[in-house]
Amino acid sequence: MEHWFLNIAHWLTSWLVSLGLAPVWAEVILLVGQWTCIVGIITLNVLVLIWLERKVAGFMQQRLGPNRLGPYGFFQTIADTLKLLTKEDIIPSQTDKLIFKIAPMFFIIVSVMLYAVLPMGQDMAVVNLNVGLFYFISVGSLSTICLLMAGWGSNNKWSLLGAMRSVAQMISYEIPLAFSLLGVVMISGSLNLSDIVQAQHNLWFILLQPVAFITFFIAATAELNRGPFDMPEAEQELTAGAFTEYSGMRWALFFLAEYTNLVAVSALAATLFLGGWQGPFLPSWLWIILKTYLIMMVFMWLKWTFPRIRMDHLMSLSWKVLIPISLVNIVLTGAGIEIFRWMGW
Amino acid sequence: MYGKGLLKGLGITLKHTFEKDITIQYPEEMPFLQERFRGCLSFDFGKCIACGLCTKACPNNVLSFETVKEEGAKKKKLLNYTIDLQYCLFCNLCVEVCPTNTLYFTHSFELTKFKREDIKIVYHRPPELDLLPEEKETGNLEVQVEMPDITEAEAKRLKQLEAMKTALGKNPQKVLSKVLDTEEDIAIMANLMASDEKKLFKMAELMLGDREKARKIAQAFVNKEKKDRQQEGGE
Repeated sequence: MEHWFLNIAHWLTSWLVSLGLAPVWAEVILLVGQWTCIVGIITLNVLVLIWLERKVAGFMQQRLGPNRLGPYGFFQTIADTLKLLTKEDIIPSQTDKLIFKIAPMFFIIVSVMLYAVLPMGQDMAVVNLNVGLFYFISVGSLSTICLLMAGWGSNNKWSLLGAMRSVAQMISYEIPLAFSLLGVVMISGSLNLSDIVQAQHNLWFILLQPVAFITFFIAATAELNRGPFDMPEAEQELTAGAFTEYSGMRWALFFLAEYTNLVAVSALAATLFLGGWQGPFLPSWLWIILKTYLIMMVFMWLKWTFPRIRMDHLMSLSWKVLIPISLVNIVLTGAGIEIFRWMGW
Repeated sequence: MYGKGLLKGLGITLKHTFEKDITIQYPEEMPFLQERFRGCLSFDFGKCIACGLCTKACPNNVLSFETVKEEGAKKKKLLNYTIDLQYCLFCNLCVEVCPTNTLYFTHSFELTKFKREDIKIVYHRPPELDLLPEEKETGNLEVQVEMPDITEAEAKRLKQLEAMKTALGKNPQKVLSKVLDTEEDIAIMANLMASDEKKLFKMAELMLGDREKARKIAQAFVNKEKKDRQQEGGE
């Protein structure tokens, strides 16, 4: 069970080579297959996640959540997706057509790119990049541009204002996000995500870096534009911020990308702090799924508990609280490493 | 401690997550209604003494009725009673003022209708009132009431009535199976209707209107016939 997917990949490449294909091309085909799998998993995940989110929200408010379509309302998301797919594609006449159209595509592409370096099991990263964490953070910050594109392309001042707010928020929270991860990098001594998982063989980093985990979690919530930091969207106050002019499948793509980001960041949190794919009894790929879903449940728990924070509070939380805390954490971690080294560990 | 409130909030949502849901899945599940819940205003024809207090008490002129005074009779006879529920504000004044507890609120709250004319609830004089022995003796059941102009709704009703009559005449078993339970009863009722056209007309009218009442009356007819037969058999 542990090596199912690795065996499939191995069997596929050897079969292609036996057909007389050059090994390079076999690798390329394997890569395409891997990406198709990732996109499939993401789509499936989003279907499950939206259902789960609505169900969790319902339970927290002592409601039932969706329960009409299929077992426990599971087919509700599928019906919603079909509805979105068949909706009319409305593009307002005064928009910057090109930017308006490519913004959602860029957003989803950037989100899917995050999965390249995530180890989804033992030796199961698509690309085993030695600067994996750096890649993840830098690609992740690209989604800010997509939001600004959406706001600018809409040619609507409220969309643009919403986009600017999102950009301000996301850039501010990028800093504590990156800083809080530095502690982990310092202890493991590597930016390669597989190496970081290996370094947690004895002890999960959530126990060594609890402060970093909390700051990472808060910054990630803001970075994902999720409640209580869902200022850019704020459906009750603003009309979806940068997404105001979007409808139908284009809007759904943004939605899809946000959930894709949620899965990616949760998987990253599991990888960095909860020991990644390591765990007893179950195969490694199942462990990472379980841990990812655990973290996503916490994200949902936070979203459906806390009221939306005010914009200036949001900014001051980042600049006056999270950044100093994460900086102090880095200093203390460095000092701790030195002390342990001096003690001869 | 800083952030204590946040943890408290998380605790509350976590607690609610595992509590029982308070959703009532109407219409599969019906909500619990208090005893004095004011649902549809209803009327018990047999109890009414046609005193008119309810119509005077009603602030919105919801209630109206028609009576006739037969020659030599001491009391007015109620012909029909109309509750125009669209104007009712469920104030309870008519129910309080009624000396015989004829008016009452039921627990039925599903008052939506497809057509405007269906909102009006009209109670016609049920035939069993006229079947009382002393009434039978006076015999003359025909009353002189001016027929109102036939409205569209009424015309439709008449049409439906005709259809029901023919259905009852042609295939009484099928129609009666909706109100009567045993085959024996159905056969008796069918016989009765075949011999007496008046009964057929009454049944048709009742079948269109109040199904529950139709059931009761049909059962009453059958029971009476059974009793008569028994007496005949005894003799």
